[in-house]
Amino acid sequence: MAPTPLTPKVLLVALAFLFFFLTPAHAKPSYGGSIVLTSTSDPKSFNDITAKETSTREVTSHIFEGLTTMNAVTLQVEPALAERWEVSEDGHTWTFYLRPGVKWNDGEPFTADDVVFTFNDLIYNDDIASSSRDIFTIEDKTFKVEKVDDLTVRFTLPVKFAPFLRAMSQAILPKHKLAKAVAEKKFNFTWGLDTPPSEIVGTGAFKLSSYRPGERFVLVRNPLYWKRSKEGDALPYLDRIVYLIVQNLDTAMLKFLDGEVDYIGLRGMEYPLIKPNERKGNFTVYDAGPDFGSSFVVFNQNTGVNPKTQKPFVDPVKSKWFLDINFRRAVAHAIDKNKMMEILMNGFGYPQDSDMSKSAGVFYNPNVEKYDYDLLKAKKILADAGYIDRNGDGWIEDPEEHTVEFNFSTNSGNNERVQIASIIRHDLQSLGMKVNFLSLEFNTLVTKLNSTFDWDAIVLGLTGGIEPHFGKNVWHSTGGLHMWYPMQKTPATDWEKRIDEIFIQGVQELDENKRKVLYDEFQVIVSQQLPLIYTVLNSDLYAIRNRFGNLKPTSYAGPFHNMEEIYINK
Amino acid sequence: MLRYILRRLLTILPILLVMSLLTFILMQKTSGSFYDTLKLNPQISPETIERYIKLYQLDKPLLVQYFSWLTNLFHFEFGYSFFYNIPVADVIGGRLWNTFVLSLASLILTWGVAIPLGIYAALHRNKITDRLIQFTSYIALASPTFFVAMLLLYFASQSGILPLGGMHSANYDGMNIIEKFFDVLRHVAIPATALSISSIGALQRIMRGNMLEVLGQQYILTARAKGLPENRVIYSHALRNAINPLVTILGYEFAGLLSGAALLEIICSWPGLGALMLTAVQSKDIYLVMASFLLSGFLLIIGNLLADVLLARLDPRIRYEK
Repeated sequence: MAPTPLTPKVLLVALAFLFFFLTPAHAKPSYGGSIVLTSTSDPKSFNDITAKETSTREVTSHIFEGLTTMNAVTLQVEPALAERWEVSEDGHTWTFYLRPGVKWNDGEPFTADDVVFTFNDLIYNDDIASSSRDIFTIEDKTFKVEKVDDLTVRFTLPVKFAPFLRAMSQAILPKHKLAKAVAEKKFNFTWGLDTPPSEIVGTGAFKLSSYRPGERFVLVRNPLYWKRSKEGDALPYLDRIVYLIVQNLDTAMLKFLDGEVDYIGLRGMEYPLIKPNERKGNFTVYDAGPDFGSSFVVFNQNTGVNPKTQKPFVDPVKSKWFLDINFRRAVAHAIDKNKMMEILMNGFGYPQDSDMSKSAGVFYNPNVEKYDYDLLKAKKILADAGYIDRNGDGWIEDPEEHTVEFNFSTNSGNNERVQIASIIRHDLQSLGMKVNFLSLEFNTLVTKLNSTFDWDAIVLGLTGGIEPHFGKNVWHSTGGLHMWYPMQKTPATDWEKRIDEIFIQGVQELDENKRKVLYDEFQVIVSQQLPLIYTVLNSDLYAIRNRFGNLKPTSYAGPFHNMEEIYINK
Repeated sequence: MLRYILRRLLTILPILLVMSLLTFILMQKTSGSFYDTLKLNPQISPETIERYIKLYQLDKPLLVQYFSWLTNLFHFEFGYSFFYNIPVADVIGGRLWNTFVLSLASLILTWGVAIPLGIYAALHRNKITDRLIQFTSYIALASPTFFVAMLLLYFASQSGILPLGGMHSANYDGMNIIEKFFDVLRHVAIPATALSISSIGALQRIMRGNMLEVLGQQYILTARAKGLPENRVIYSHALRNAINPLVTILGYEFAGLLSGAALLEIICSWPGLGALMLTAVQSKDIYLVMASFLLSGFLLIIGNLLADVLLARLDPRIRYEK
């Protein structure tokens, strides 16, 4: 047979064939199947209001929803239990129109009563200890929450509150299940781990099916879930989410490589162990960008006096150095971020220059003052400010002849921080500072930061997010986490005063662009004044089995924020 | 004998009372508290932390807190866990059993292997098999439990014979009783082996030493001289005497049933008490810690008592009263 000539028609057929095979077979999502994940610890309860930490939210985020939700890809607020909303001219009154037809997973209808109950009877209840209350309290004033009709709720705010829509992702809990516990003042101890799974009622895409302490919890598809996909499919696609509780990371990794588990979060150090198995294990490693949160060195700038002993919290000699901006600038030039990323993160890290993470989207300001690693420059700054070795003993002295010597701590449980501290210490020593490293127990460290204030310098990290206002406790000079000088009556410096102003203005500015200008300025001030001297952030690396469709991993919300849309390729 | 046991049981109460008071003071007076992590959360205000403190009555004087806990204890209420917001007994409940299963499996394995091995080694003293056993015992003694566990897990992952940690298969609830037993057995194999390896080494050496000592005694010579069959000499005369000191060890092992395996439980994802207690101590979940300490203390006392009673039965020289 003669070879077929390469006519356009043949080419077209060939191309069509090629397309047919190249188009992924998972073009149309299908139902069914399970995803198996690991969790490093048990949830502490199923009660989203009293929950104090993340391992609880890992479960409850699948079961409960708020009026709004954050699109983890675009970082924009989107409707969830509320279909739409309006805000009054003055920005004080918000009206939410609830989505009709939404049902709790036990079949009861979801109404405005549930929203009012969640706020007035749970969050604002004086007998209930909940961190949610802090988000919905401005200057000691709470919001007024009223039912207009069955599907309309009105919030009246004491002041304008820019993060309001984001905060409204607050989970709504069912009144019909919990009203009794609240009336009997038992809510604090309700929905603990001993509750039968069927009692935990939410509106989310999944519901709790079983929990075996220390081993696993299983969530199953909520057939009553309201959300549809773009194609009109009733969500979610998956039948089951299984969380195995595996405390040891090495064991979790073995389970992942073995195929028992579908996902594992990695740090840079583990990358070379996992990456080569990608093809064999049929998975992909995603790099979602820098972690949220911060990692920094902080010097104690507290000039207060201990009321009990009438002595200053910090030795006045040391205080003088720590308050000296040149001293802090020199330290900033001695932070070897490249070395930290290389040694601790295998190169999978990001230098941190600003309080907002690069992943934070709109509020991240890349144009802040940056400090390159340059020991000569650091030495020169110190020498110009009068810190030189005056007696030839190898350590530098300040103009009053005091050797620059201070304690440098971090919490012993966090290996990475201990290593960061030791790298910094090494560089500070070569600047001639006598740095005594103390690794402290976490609780001791917190006590020092919070109540005794007897510390010199600390390496620490905080959690962060995309809403700058939620860092107010750190940045406002009255804040308890304003670590370098907490709970000031009046701002000690002009720049702290300006930051106070920015945070007060920023929270009342509803125009996002104007807000950005304010928070950009705040980030620049911080980078110039260096109350916190930033170090490095980890990359979020996710290794995920290839059998899933619709994956959109992000640093903000992890690999499975859109769990309801994820399906298994058939 | 009965009176002796009763007397010993009566002393338990004051011991536990003092123990609980000491634990309570230690937990309260050392620096830090369970809400320290909350304090470092930018989104949690001091007022909220105040509320938590009030909720758990941590604002009351120390002794008031202790006595209110103690009164509840007489109603068999062990207080609430700060972290789980449910009664301590509910948190500990199932995990207690799981740890017990693991410890028991390892206890049976250790004694079941070490005793015969020790006897065999003693009877074949300085032969090549004995040397081999002693050599392996040294290695076993020197290998850290967590390392052995990691190796075994790696082996399991490569061979696919045994499950990688955990205690039950996913379909456990649908099994019948025999399948359930074998399912747990398969899961317990790795942690129990890891836990036993170094104790087998140690116990085997003790058994061998005791046996050799007894075999050198004159009454063994007498027994042999009067023509008793070797089997009877060894098993009814020598063994009975050689095993006495081990009974004391068994008593202590009983006390360690609930506490010996925290690290291993973490590595093998065994849903036991160990990991729970470790985090409870670190995070200062006071009443959870107190409950577990009381439990361990109780078991230690009971274990010792058990050893003493057993010893009296086994060794005619020991009498506790006239």
